[in-house]
Amino acid sequence: MIRQQMYSYKTGIPQIDTATGGFEAGTNLLLLAPSLSFAEQFAYALTRPQAGEYAIMLSTNERASEVIDLVKSTGADKHFVGVIDAITKSSTPAVSDTERFMFVTNPTDLTGIGIKFSHMIETIFEGTFSGGQETGLFPPPIRFCINSVSTLLMYRKLEVLYQFLHVMTAKLKKVEGFGIYVLNNEAFDERTVSLIKQLMTIVIEIKVERTDNYFRVMGVPGVNADWHKFTISNGQVVLGL
Amino acid sequence: MISTGMYGIDDMLGGGIPVGSRVLYSLDPGVDGQLFMISTLYEALEQKKSCLVVIPHTTVEAFLHDVEQLRGHKIRPSEHAITFMDIADRERIQRQVSKTGSSLREWQERIKKLCTENNVDVIVGYFDIIYEDFGLEKGLSLLSPACFPTKATIIVEHLNLDGDAFLDSPVIKKSFDLILAVKSSFRPLPHFNYFTILYTSWSTQLRRSVPFLVKNGHIVPYIPKIVVTGPPNAGKSRFVLNATALGVSVDRAGTDGTSTTVAMDFGWLHWQDFDITLYGTPGQPRFDPMLPGILKNAMGVVLIVDATDPGQFPRAKQLYKTVAKMHVPVIVAANKKDLPGVIGEDEIRKGIGIGKNIPVFLISAQQKNDVRDVLEHLVDSITRFIC
Repeated sequence: MIRQQMYSYKTGIPQIDTATGGFEAGTNLLLLAPSLSFAEQFAYALTRPQAGEYAIMLSTNERASEVIDLVKSTGADKHFVGVIDAITKSSTPAVSDTERFMFVTNPTDLTGIGIKFSHMIETIFEGTFSGGQETGLFPPPIRFCINSVSTLLMYRKLEVLYQFLHVMTAKLKKVEGFGIYVLNNEAFDERTVSLIKQLMTIVIEIKVERTDNYFRVMGVPGVNADWHKFTISNGQVVLGL
Repeated sequence: MISTGMYGIDDMLGGGIPVGSRVLYSLDPGVDGQLFMISTLYEALEQKKSCLVVIPHTTVEAFLHDVEQLRGHKIRPSEHAITFMDIADRERIQRQVSKTGSSLREWQERIKKLCTENNVDVIVGYFDIIYEDFGLEKGLSLLSPACFPTKATIIVEHLNLDGDAFLDSPVIKKSFDLILAVKSSFRPLPHFNYFTILYTSWSTQLRRSVPFLVKNGHIVPYIPKIVVTGPPNAGKSRFVLNATALGVSVDRAGTDGTSTTVAMDFGWLHWQDFDITLYGTPGQPRFDPMLPGILKNAMGVVLIVDATDPGQFPRAKQLYKTVAKMHVPVIVAANKKDLPGVIGEDEIRKGIGIGKNIPVFLISAQQKNDVRDVLEHLVDSITRFIC
């Protein structure tokens, strides 16, 4: 089925989805968060593919098997999720790629990451990604998450990573996908955060006060930048009072 | 010469890479081009060359596994003359020295030592980490004769995040004998990768761009579309059928009792390490509205005329005008040279209205060798064509 209109990606957070109708295809979203703030779970909730969608996770922190467990905890169907794992191969060099699980030795290998990403996108477009369970939407809606940009920055220089992310965000726009990029704003200076922000269309910032977590959305017309208290339950973002 | 391991490319380079050359395989992000350097490495090892592989981004075990996955064959360090500098060496050097200058010296000394100890003929390395660690000029100094034996051939792969600015920089042009850029259309569908030979120091050939496929661990250059057109009864269907391993023609009986093509001829062949698809158009003017569609994305055109029938030339001229708008290489194949009454080349040129820049081949489409001569020349023109 060929899409007649620009696709909208729902976040699963009613307050955002109601105000925006979902994020436009081609949106790149930066998730800025300190450590221990449920940022990862927040990112997984945003990346969870809805019916008819696909998701690709670039994981620099967890192995592919752990990623899939986390994805399943959000209620997503694992057949529509691909993982580019930048962890496992360093300890298990002989691990082999499959359609949905691909491996690079470590986060240094931007060549490998780029190639595996292109392969997965091609497979999704060719309709062979989910082993016959394809939904047939065209172009296929694809969510892509880098968890995390912080780790990539530990392996490569800011300037190099900026150029790399520039290419990735542009590709996401071309395929009408939705990109989610996790960055620890406590670990890097203002210049770094500001440079990465330049590549994004939307920023969601998370903060922790005492025992409570809050997020706010910046860059979306019609959505104010107020802080919202939230928890994560069954892989979903739930707003508190 | 050292083979690139990609025979179609060897031909384009005049037989391969001259010993002692410095080669840059520049990969755009996301382009499946890792097999270029791996193919060259694999070929060098098969030729019993002693190789040093510099892989500062990965481990030896992971690299060997990647090569096996990509190429379908193992490199066995016990059987091949191969030495490595891997991520562990990079980390060791980083630990030993903190200042960039001394770190660079450490790299130089380590490489020099390995080259001398192992009598290295070919060095294969991933440049982007070195580029990042030391910058362009200092990074390139690692490729200088101060580090490597003069006769060593150096093959470098680089993830090019800087685009054409990097490839056009004078220091890059000065530092390499062959620059081959691997790029992608990055249209999800139809998706295609292509390579461009940007520069060779040993020849003055024009830059060439050719799409490629990865098949069974090999890079296969391919030409997605060559169109064969011409007036009715010029011999287009015969040409396509005799050119290709698999050919189909959709013919119906014409008004004069002979068969005529009413849809198109289609054929596929593997020629000179290229995969080529041929599309033959119907010759009747009533099918002209189809022509722009068939010609779209064509990389070359064969215009066939009956060399014994000057009455066809006005129609051929009309077709040539349409084809010329595509700005792709065109060859005129003057068919039926084995029949009486063949007209001379000058008259054919005059009749069709073409200059000396368009080659004219006198052929018999019945003769496979004649047909292949035309294709060989066209493939050569396509791969030389400036994109």
